[in-house]
Amino acid sequence: MMTIDHRQQDQEQLQQPATEAMEAKLLERFGAEKPFAVPDGYFDRLPGKVMGRIAQRKRRRLMWRWAAAAVLVGCVATGSMFFERYEEQQTAEAENIQYIEDALDYSMIDNMSIASYLTEAE
Amino acid sequence: MVREYQEPLYWQIRRMVLSHEDADDVLQNTFIKAWGAIDSFRQESRLQTWLFRIAINESLNHLSKKKQTLSLDQTEGSVADMLASDSYFDGDEVQQQFQTAISTLPDKQRLVFNLKYFDEMKYEDMSDMLGTSIGALKASYHHAIKKICAFFEGRD
Repeated sequence: MMTIDHRQQDQEQLQQPATEAMEAKLLERFGAEKPFAVPDGYFDRLPGKVMGRIAQRKRRRLMWRWAAAAVLVGCVATGSMFFERYEEQQTAEAENIQYIEDALDYSMIDNMSIASYLTEAE
Repeated sequence: MVREYQEPLYWQIRRMVLSHEDADDVLQNTFIKAWGAIDSFRQESRLQTWLFRIAINESLNHLSKKKQTLSLDQTEGSVADMLASDSYFDGDEVQQQFQTAISTLPDKQRLVFNLKYFDEMKYEDMSDMLGTSIGALKASYHHAIKKICAFFEGRD
């Protein structure tokens, strides 16, 4: 049984003369010249244009890196600022609680106790 | 790198995209992509082959993007019109017809046709550049030639 490779090679060999004959017809009728032109000085100017675009990309990349770094620094600074405030708040709350507790202690003394205290003092 | 390879790359691209303005865009994009990917360039393949591969990919991408904006009916007529009005197309009416016929080929077949017919590139080198088997390239060229001949048989 023929392998696929052999079949393909046979097909190529059959096609080859036909392809060459048709190619020769096209070459005779149309040739193989390039019918395209470029603006004057195009290839002289192109390297400068390309290098300019590459330099622009390099600057943009650098800018993004600085922006990313600035954002990171900003996040850290903001974060630590909030943390400090949180700590202050925690301390303030703790002091408030103590104040309230003290106030409650004083308020536990009822009117009778105050009256007897005053009368004892006399 | 730009000065050394700009011309051969330009002509590869120009034959695919046809207009100078499009070829200019694709060529610049090719160099910018190459600059961005230079770290991944492996020494075992030649720089020219690597650059050509990028240029071909950029050309094919450009063509498929452009085709999305044109309806199928418009394609052949629009190529002929474009070439006729293009100030950077040097050829006479015969050449115009030839380029129109070539533009009817599917993009990858057109690429193979251009490389073999105009550049007389060896199939081995083409295979290395495009990553396609020699057999497939030969078949592609055969079909391309047949189709172009049929194009003119229909008109003569």
